[in-house]
Amino acid sequence: MFPAVVCLQGKKKEGNAAKYMTRSQAVKYLQVSLSVFRQLCIHKGVFPREPKKKVKGNHHTYYHIKDILFLKHEPLLETLREIRVHEKKVKKAESKKNRNLAERLERHKPDYSLDRLVKERYPTFVDALRDLDDCLSMVHLFAALPAVEREHIEVDRIHKCRRLSHEWQAYISRTHKLRKTFISVKGIYYQAEVQGQIVTWLTPHALQQVLPSDVDYKIMLTFLKFYETQLELVNYKLYQSINVKYPPILDPRLEALAADLYGLTRYLDASARASLVESIDVRPSGSDQNEEQQEGTKLEEPELRLAQLQHNLSSSEPGSLMRLVDDVREEDEDDEETKECRNFFKGMKFFLSREVPRESLLFVIPAFGGMISWEGEGAPFPESDSSITHQIVDRPTQKRMFLSREYVQPQWIYDCINFRVILPTDEYLVGRVAPPHLSPFVDNEEEGHVPEYAETIKRLQAAARKEVLPLPGAGEDDLGDPQNLQGIIDRAEEIEAAEKKRKMAILQKQYLDELKMELESCQYHDHSDTSKLKDAEGPDAEDSLPNLKQIAEDAENMSKVLISRKKRKLLEAMEIGKDRKKAHIKLLKERKKKIDEAEKSG
Amino acid sequence: MKTLKNKKQHKKEGPEKINGTLRRIEQQLDQAADKSEDSSSDYDFEVVDNESLSEDEGPPSESGSEQSEPSGNEDVVSSDDDDGNHDDTRNNRKMDGGESDDSREVIEESDSSEDEVAPRNTVGSVPLEWYNDEEHIGYNLAGKKIKKKERQNKLDSFLASADDSKSWRKIYDEYNDEEVELTKGETKLIRRLLEGKAPHADFDPYQPYVDFFAWDDSKHPLSNAPEPKRRFIPSKWESKKVLQLVRAFRMGRIKFDDKPKKESNLYDVWADDSSLAERQGLAHIPAPKFKLPGHEESFNPSGEYIPSQEEINALQLIPEEDRPKFIPQRFELYRSVPAYDKAVSERFGRCLDLYLCPRARKKRINIDPETLKPKLPSRKDLKPYPTTCYLEYKGHKGPVVSVTAESTGQWIASGSNDGSVRVWEVETGRCLRVWDIGEPVQQVVWNPLPELPLLAIAAGQDVFILNTGLGSEEEQKKIEELLHIETPTAPDDSDKNASLISWGPDEKHGGIRLKHFKTVSSLEWHRKGDYLSTLMPHDILPPTLKSVLIHQLSKKLTQRIPYKLRGLPVSSAFHPIRSIFFISTKKDVRVYDLLKQKLLKKLEPGVREVSSIAIHPGGDNVIVGSKDGKLCWFDMDLSSLPYKVLKPHKKDINKVSFHRSYPLFSSCSDDCTAYVFHGKVYSDLNQNPLIVPLEILRGHASADGRGVLDCKFHPRQPWLFTAGADSIIRLYCH
Repeated sequence: MFPAVVCLQGKKKEGNAAKYMTRSQAVKYLQVSLSVFRQLCIHKGVFPREPKKKVKGNHHTYYHIKDILFLKHEPLLETLREIRVHEKKVKKAESKKNRNLAERLERHKPDYSLDRLVKERYPTFVDALRDLDDCLSMVHLFAALPAVEREHIEVDRIHKCRRLSHEWQAYISRTHKLRKTFISVKGIYYQAEVQGQIVTWLTPHALQQVLPSDVDYKIMLTFLKFYETQLELVNYKLYQSINVKYPPILDPRLEALAADLYGLTRYLDASARASLVESIDVRPSGSDQNEEQQEGTKLEEPELRLAQLQHNLSSSEPGSLMRLVDDVREEDEDDEETKECRNFFKGMKFFLSREVPRESLLFVIPAFGGMISWEGEGAPFPESDSSITHQIVDRPTQKRMFLSREYVQPQWIYDCINFRVILPTDEYLVGRVAPPHLSPFVDNEEEGHVPEYAETIKRLQAAARKEVLPLPGAGEDDLGDPQNLQGIIDRAEEIEAAEKKRKMAILQKQYLDELKMELESCQYHDHSDTSKLKDAEGPDAEDSLPNLKQIAEDAENMSKVLISRKKRKLLEAMEIGKDRKKAHIKLLKERKKKIDEAEKSG
Repeated sequence: MKTLKNKKQHKKEGPEKINGTLRRIEQQLDQAADKSEDSSSDYDFEVVDNESLSEDEGPPSESGSEQSEPSGNEDVVSSDDDDGNHDDTRNNRKMDGGESDDSREVIEESDSSEDEVAPRNTVGSVPLEWYNDEEHIGYNLAGKKIKKKERQNKLDSFLASADDSKSWRKIYDEYNDEEVELTKGETKLIRRLLEGKAPHADFDPYQPYVDFFAWDDSKHPLSNAPEPKRRFIPSKWESKKVLQLVRAFRMGRIKFDDKPKKESNLYDVWADDSSLAERQGLAHIPAPKFKLPGHEESFNPSGEYIPSQEEINALQLIPEEDRPKFIPQRFELYRSVPAYDKAVSERFGRCLDLYLCPRARKKRINIDPETLKPKLPSRKDLKPYPTTCYLEYKGHKGPVVSVTAESTGQWIASGSNDGSVRVWEVETGRCLRVWDIGEPVQQVVWNPLPELPLLAIAAGQDVFILNTGLGSEEEQKKIEELLHIETPTAPDDSDKNASLISWGPDEKHGGIRLKHFKTVSSLEWHRKGDYLSTLMPHDILPPTLKSVLIHQLSKKLTQRIPYKLRGLPVSSAFHPIRSIFFISTKKDVRVYDLLKQKLLKKLEPGVREVSSIAIHPGGDNVIVGSKDGKLCWFDMDLSSLPYKVLKPHKKDINKVSFHRSYPLFSSCSDDCTAYVFHGKVYSDLNQNPLIVPLEILRGHASADGRGVLDCKFHPRQPWLFTAGADSIIRLYCH
């Protein structure tokens, strides 16, 4: 069946020897070079496997023979071979100093597209979303990298990565799918929930990245090639799902100002609303304004014009049209959490100072329903706008201040989002030392150590939940508003659910405690017996307390005596892991104690 | 003519060589041109040797031998040059020494002559370093040596140059070893050269071309060859080439669009997103997602996550591969967070993992550790068993090595290292009797027959069989009869084996004394109370002598066990029902049939060193205690390997014992604990014995690294006696 293999290996083989082959065997069998093999593996998503018995030795990587056959039947293999032939031609022309020919050949290099492979690897759209983490992280990383000729990182690809990442962010922001964010030293982590799939990705900080020399960029570019295709197709599908044309057409002015994301969101807003607006038949009133705008941007897309119009309208007379459209469109299909996210920053207007890293906030704040502007050209509203509620400042002091707004550090935004509470701004004001920024991805209970601030936030969350019930100073007006009512009902439900949950948790805990008690009860019982005896004896009655520990330990030991060796080893390994965790928690607690003491004394 | 010559002269020197010097001179010219009053128009360029000019700034190697300072020459010259910049008001000519006058004379001489005057020096174009060590610089026309001039003091030369208003146009000619003063004409010439013009103003580079040869009215052609054919016929090869190209265009091999347009071929790949769509190929194992960051990765982590400086320093001691990859840091402001330097590397690592790391589905062991522990019956159901210390028997002064209970359960006897054997009443703790043997007691064993209250005591090389004086008078009579030995039997006993064992009366304590030839370590009564086995572990024994002996009390006879043992015997036991004898060496346990006189079985516990054995009263199960704290349970009907190995103790097990009637067994160890187990043997052969650890008994203190030395069950009650190295005997009751 596999003549090459058979020839290669001599006699017929069975078992693992027949099922698996080493990498060098596979390369030989496919008659390609190692680099082509690597490309194939990356594009096809073929990975080595772990045979039960490693026939050729421990230091080889093994591929399953079916995987290799899968590669062998891949048409891409032929394309890669063609490319290689083509490269040879170019080289030959160059060495013969036939520059014309070389250039001409270079221009007509055979190319391949991977959309078929994307479909093959991810048969359903949900599959593709499920495996999007690495793809997004990679694309976002390359979007921040400089183009380096030496490493064949071309400008086009960087631009494409930027575009793709912005498109993705625009979609997430537009549909309010963002759930968690975390500023780490390594970059910013985002977590979104798209079609029920949790997608997490890491974007580097918007700074000049270091390009280490010990990295093989060819491999990364191969990966990137696949990821670009994947993300493009995913974006296409996503944009299609919200009735927006893909690829989006960007306002060149905004693009030039490096506010692509903002441009994109505007585009999205516009095109999603265009059809609806027409159907509602609301004609623009301020036509001269419209024309002015047009002159500025020189764009002919009617959708975009409309969008700008909408934008102007919304900023001049808040909440007239936009909200209407929004409500009509989305109320029915979104889930609870998305609703919550959409209305999280509703009614708040943010202004970014010059020094604040803009890209991330431009993405995050609209995703949670806030309005945002920044210092510079193309900004939707100026700093002097009196309706701004929060100004985000990232410097030690702020000289000129408007009294009508609060000056907060950017961390406030992220913390609010993560804990879904509008936190009091006192601690985050300019010049204050902000409270620690906690990771939203950690389950504190499971970790065993709860940072102090997490507890504070928990209290705040609880307080926020309770606050809504009595309706502070709202009166019947708010009750009359159907939307508000909806909100109240939602909140009420939420509170109920939370209460239930808490009750359940308490019950469970009780149950667990009881169980524990039961487990120890026999020991207690025994102990009581012994103590009675000892009481009778008289003098030894005192040492019952330390004995408790001893008894527990004894019980532990006794249960271990009878375990088989294999299980005992497993148990020991588990205990080692537990001990390590405990030691870590202990270290943290000690440090915390030290800090507290230092604070008290200092 | 003169101009041409000058030009030629210049062409000889490389322009680049000359340039540096020229530029410098030009600077000086610019600054001081207006001051110069010398208006001599007559000049000869050859005087200024360009080689010497260029070497003005050359390496210091050309300094004279007389000069101690190697760079003196250059410095002198340069200071000369520099000082031209100074605006000199004083026109002091004092410093113009004779030499400079001489040189000027030479120049003038050369000036006056019509023809080219050869330089003063005649050495030709040889490297001047050759003359570095000489006193002369070359030879003049007459063939005489030209002496080197004496070097001027630096300071002097500096002063001189500062005073001399013309020093800016003076140049040192190294070839001739003289200073040359440039004339106005010469400076002009240099300036023109620097500008890139011809040196002489009257030279016109754009003169109309005059052909040196005119054909016009000659009669004959230069060549008489006929016109070639190719001048009239179109080229075949060219046409072929054109044809080739045309064909290539037509075939589309050559395309003229410079960049093929990439049309975006985007479409909805998942348009027919049916649930039937499945991945082809082998079962796919999705790569695990990357780990989500914890609190410590934050740019502003909580204080307890940041390691102190000492902790960071301590990390340096850890080998690099074990060191944590990430050390938490704190930044006050978000914008002060720098770019992460390992961002690309980490992503690259992830890429490598994705395509190079073998993937396998591993079942994550997410089990509760409790489920690993075997399900045991509740200990409450297995009562009674000894749990608490009820009594302590104090009186011994050394570690109590052995304890034994009388078969009625009323008395116990104990032997200690201090050489005493005591008999205690169990219920009260009263010490009934004390014998002082004199030697450290190894073991004390009570005769299993209730009507024979005899004690066998092993101490040193002797075994004593003593009458305890308990029991009724009839019994006492019997015992006295039994213990009566008329004469020492040893001398007239012809039996070879027992030749070294002497049966004799013990005057001191009133019993029988069996003298052995080596130290006796262990004793064991047969269940019928007539036979007594002794062990004498010793490395060097004569081949005829065996270390295991069996004594018969009624006949006062001694037999040896006729089998070979490999290794030292440690412990022995009689089968409780049949005539089977167990001997354990350090490695294994051998089972002999005493009637058939053959080896029945060899049990292999696989432990480091066996310390003791005990036989279940049913006789089918054996437990073996070892010095690595392991306890092996053997089922005789099964294999020679242990049915179950328990590891209750951390230190050596000293003794194991079974209860005679209750399903209990115990082990005691040097870690000062005694374990009590439930060991139920079912009569149904298909059912395995049930072993449940019941209780850990503590209370003994450690002495000399030894803990509990012996443990024995009460024959009737579920009570346990333990003898400790702390010279106390304890009774544990239920």
